[in-house]
Amino acid sequence: MAEKRTIVIDPVTRIEGHAKITLHLDEQGEVSDARFHVTQFRGFEKLCEGRPFTEMPSLMARICGICPVSHLIASAKACDALLAVRIPPTADKLRRIFNIAQIVQSHALSVFHLSSPDLLLGMDADPAKSNLWGVAEKDPQLARDGIRLRQFGQQIIERLGGKRIHPAWVVPGGVSEPLSQENRDAILATIPEALAIAVRTLAWYKKISQAFREEIGSFGNFPSLFMGMVKEDGGLTFYDGKLRMGDASGNLVADGLDATRYFDYLGEKVERWSYLKSAYYKPKGYPDGMYRVGPLARLNVVDRCGTERADQELAEFKELQRAAVLSSFHYHQARLIEILYCVERLEQLLNDPEILSKHVRAEAKANALEGIGASEAPRGTLFHHYKIDEQGLVRWANLIIATGQNNLAMNRSVLQVAKHFVRGNELLPGMLNRVEAVIRAYDPCLSCSTHAIGEMALRIQLLDPSGQVLNEAVRP
Amino acid sequence: MPRVLIVACGNPLRCDDGLAWRAVEDLHRLRQQDVEIIAQNQLTPELASPVSQVERVLFLDAARRGQPGEIRCELVLPVHASGAFTHNFSPASILSLAHELYGKAPQAYVISLSGECFDHGETISATVEAALPGFVELIVRFTEELPRTCDRHSPLCL
Repeated sequence: MAEKRTIVIDPVTRIEGHAKITLHLDEQGEVSDARFHVTQFRGFEKLCEGRPFTEMPSLMARICGICPVSHLIASAKACDALLAVRIPPTADKLRRIFNIAQIVQSHALSVFHLSSPDLLLGMDADPAKSNLWGVAEKDPQLARDGIRLRQFGQQIIERLGGKRIHPAWVVPGGVSEPLSQENRDAILATIPEALAIAVRTLAWYKKISQAFREEIGSFGNFPSLFMGMVKEDGGLTFYDGKLRMGDASGNLVADGLDATRYFDYLGEKVERWSYLKSAYYKPKGYPDGMYRVGPLARLNVVDRCGTERADQELAEFKELQRAAVLSSFHYHQARLIEILYCVERLEQLLNDPEILSKHVRAEAKANALEGIGASEAPRGTLFHHYKIDEQGLVRWANLIIATGQNNLAMNRSVLQVAKHFVRGNELLPGMLNRVEAVIRAYDPCLSCSTHAIGEMALRIQLLDPSGQVLNEAVRP
Repeated sequence: MPRVLIVACGNPLRCDDGLAWRAVEDLHRLRQQDVEIIAQNQLTPELASPVSQVERVLFLDAARRGQPGEIRCELVLPVHASGAFTHNFSPASILSLAHELYGKAPQAYVISLSGECFDHGETISATVEAALPGFVELIVRFTEELPRTCDRHSPLCL
């Protein structure tokens, strides 16, 4: 009788951060279980303790080189709550521009640099060619478009924040500098090119996605809840709004949820085999409260995007499956629609008559000892929650990151794909690439998402120079 | 577009690894005509576009090899890269991508300064601090004209 075996995919490639996947095979070589393990640990919740709260936006931006702006925004909103101020209207709009620019560049990274090799060259392509060079060789225009769209977003961030990565322009109470007319005009001049790329790429994607029917049917194609932030009119927003939870039938499970009361309806569970916590919707319990966030979830729960072209695409998107769009393969299309929306929305915001106002910051000292900020990051809803003492020093912090909220769904997706495609007795690279590709569809950012300390299983060994174990401490 | 592009690379939070950023501060003060400067933590595919638009590109970086304070200049030629990772772009692979996508890979050099300390911190070691003026002087020379000692076809060490 054959033995049970385990296949380990380590590292998972073309994602942000470090992870591995284990596939457990039964005696017949069929997949019986699968797990997505996040193997890195960041610990920002702990290391910020004792720091002045005014440092938090800049400190939290260091969590990630891909989406520092998301952490800046959520952190600054938490600090606004500590100041107990309402930021100037222009600062509000400038933060929205900043956030949207980052959504564009981050989504472009996911679509063009990380997933387009799978989409353009196929899931069974030679792994040595399944990268940016392979894309450049087969479709140089697509590769150029990816580079240009990333530049577009990064240059807006640089024009507003002074630098592309870890800008410190967003501060408690607003932003540190107003937008100059020169920079506003320079950004506006690049909108038509970005819009053309967004439209062109969506058309390309819709055409090539026809060849992935089997993947669409098995890449995280299961019922779950979906959560996203919406405007009062049900429109798409990345900066501010109430939270909505929708189900697989397209019905709203909860609406008008106050993001600052997230702890009433969201829970987090720690599993022994990963540094990434798993968030769940409390009323349904764990793990039945599995929900998805990010582009797919946002487009599932909104009534409209709020811009002309994106709304046309949204209407088409909502026809992809009956009721809610369930397959995580469709994250790609949702991501491209969001890019289109962001470019259109940028033009609206930049043409706002107030956008060049010099009043961009509200000054105050701490007026509250607890603050919560929430916004939509590229990968989903992001929460920053701080408690400070009378001296303004951070005493406690909790971060709920989008990737953690997708953890249950990512694990279930890996299992679904593995069961559908992997045959342990005749293993082919394309089978394992599909297991990785479903993770790429979620675009997880693992550097952002592993901050809890004191809860996860730990094993620490003290070794002598020869490698002999001198001491060991284990927390189950 | 300017004639010369300077790409400074390194992590300013890891002591001498951020020496190229320090050099960039001095270079900005010189306000050289026809020179654009980009400072990044690491090389990314997006650099292929500006790299393709200039006559010469200078990659500035800290080096682990050599004696601390040692300055090196090496010619870079495009090398087609492959593999699953996009986190480790080299100057040669950036040149290759520029050629692949935009049809042009300019003359390129890596100018490096060997570091002493790569620990956490924002300070530069005394050895590197002392070598920085010479490092900047060499970079300026390369933005103005190619030094006579430079052989277009082989690596060189100044």
